[in-house]
Amino acid sequence: MPRNRTALVLLLPAAILMAGLTLYPLGRSLALSFFVTEYGFDGARFVGLLNYERLFSDRFFLRAIRNTVSFTLLATLGELALGLGLALLVNRGFRGRKALIPVLVAPFILSTMVVTAIWSAWFHYDFGYLNNLLRAVGLEGVEWLSSPRIALYSLVLVDIWQTTPLVFLILLAGLQSIDPALYEAARLDGAGRGRILWTITLPLLLPHLMLAALLRSIDSFKIFDKVYALTGGGPGQATETLSMFLFRQGFRFQEMGAASATAMVMVAIAAVLAGVYAAMILRGGKEG
Amino acid sequence: MEQSRATSLPFTLLALLAAFVMALPMLWMLSTAFKPAGEYVSTGITLLPQAPTLEHFIAVLGEQDLPGKLLNSVIVTMGATLLALLAGFPAAYALVRLNLPARLDTIFLVFVLVIKLVPPLALAVPLYQVLRAIGLLDTLAGLILTYQVYTLPMAIWLLLGFVRDVPIAYEEAARIDGAGLVRRLTTIVLPVMAPGIGAATILLAILAWNEFTYALLFIQSPDKFTLPVYVAGLITEDETFWGRLSAIGLIGSLPLIATLALFQKYLLRGLVGGLK
Repeated sequence: MPRNRTALVLLLPAAILMAGLTLYPLGRSLALSFFVTEYGFDGARFVGLLNYERLFSDRFFLRAIRNTVSFTLLATLGELALGLGLALLVNRGFRGRKALIPVLVAPFILSTMVVTAIWSAWFHYDFGYLNNLLRAVGLEGVEWLSSPRIALYSLVLVDIWQTTPLVFLILLAGLQSIDPALYEAARLDGAGRGRILWTITLPLLLPHLMLAALLRSIDSFKIFDKVYALTGGGPGQATETLSMFLFRQGFRFQEMGAASATAMVMVAIAAVLAGVYAAMILRGGKEG
Repeated sequence: MEQSRATSLPFTLLALLAAFVMALPMLWMLSTAFKPAGEYVSTGITLLPQAPTLEHFIAVLGEQDLPGKLLNSVIVTMGATLLALLAGFPAAYALVRLNLPARLDTIFLVFVLVIKLVPPLALAVPLYQVLRAIGLLDTLAGLILTYQVYTLPMAIWLLLGFVRDVPIAYEEAARIDGAGLVRRLTTIVLPVMAPGIGAATILLAILAWNEFTYALLFIQSPDKFTLPVYVAGLITEDETFWGRLSAIGLIGSLPLIATLALFQKYLLRGLVGGLK
């Protein structure tokens, strides 16, 4: 009995902080999403589901959803493909690979704003390093951030450069946990390199691939800082993601009710991803 | 692995190429920080500075601006990390070692996970109102508090694993000798966990050091900006301040690179542990 009480006392500070900083804000957002209001509940008018109805007929919101989904899918798939390639490459074991790993991981260590600063310079149309490189090999410069058709892909490129190292690390750890005896046995049975990859490596790596995919999709779904600093959501609405949309609603136009409805939609989507993640962890815990 | 030299050479070259591509933007930053403006605002692709200069470092360190922003970032990072550890350690210990009633531990852990996944902007509007109500809007203390949205779940998540690693027999022995909980924590659990707490401290500090969203939304006075918000301001100003940005980027990255080099082993373990 006294042990129970001790446990509760120890949990209390964390519980209070989390309740005040997360539960209360979530509850308040949920409540506010049913009101039309500018500041809190003073003078707020209850409107039921109106904010949600408006949201789903707002073409800017629908555009933001489309942009966020495109960004998340492209960034996650790109990072998985490149991370897998790098991990397979490094896992082959050649001389000097120990020295190579820190270089491959380095972009992930940099602060996002430093990464963004570098790429904002690289994307400059006239003097950016990327266009300088293209022109040096005789190609035309690209309007990386000012073309509505390209800007979203440019953001994906930055995200891929910055976080492929994380995927690489997870997958490399996965590859190294595969028993070498399995490869040996397959080789003795006469299996070629491609067959070994498809029938042994990839199936055994699947849990790690899933983990990396989930972590990356959860993170890229939140994308805000790069968009804010590189394009501000533009040109037009070409790169406006859900976070950016919410930022403008809540902090530029002060439409707290509408912003809260957007927040709730985002939480709902995050909850689905969280559910998948939790299921994976619980299953992994039982197997391990 | 027994690969013949002939087949492994192309792969080695490919790996070197990949490393070069990953490193190029960082090499560019390193070079631009030492180039005069006339050299980097150009169409050339040479990375080696023709007339190396320290003007950008002198400019950013001499101005009132950067040192103040660095100090703000240091204060917020230390405060947020400390608060997360102080609240997170007892919670992690209780979750691992003490019997909690009615599956409270599971509920708590699921809750920690959910918070980790909620987009920061989805909480921003009500958090803004909470900060205003308690008078902490536009203060560094307010940032330290709101950073707990990220740092506290992360701290609990990381410390859980490290508490589990402390052999329970040590504690049992001390308990039989009559040591109370506080004494056991300070003389046994904390010392044994020291490397783990060190790793957690570094990972939390990196998280707080890089935080952007709440620092942008909850601070209005420029003299209280943190480093990322200051850098974002320079980026969006539509000028080619690349020399200065690179100098700031180098100065701002040095602490991270140094800690990584020093604590590589712990960090990779903590990083992967924190993800699962």
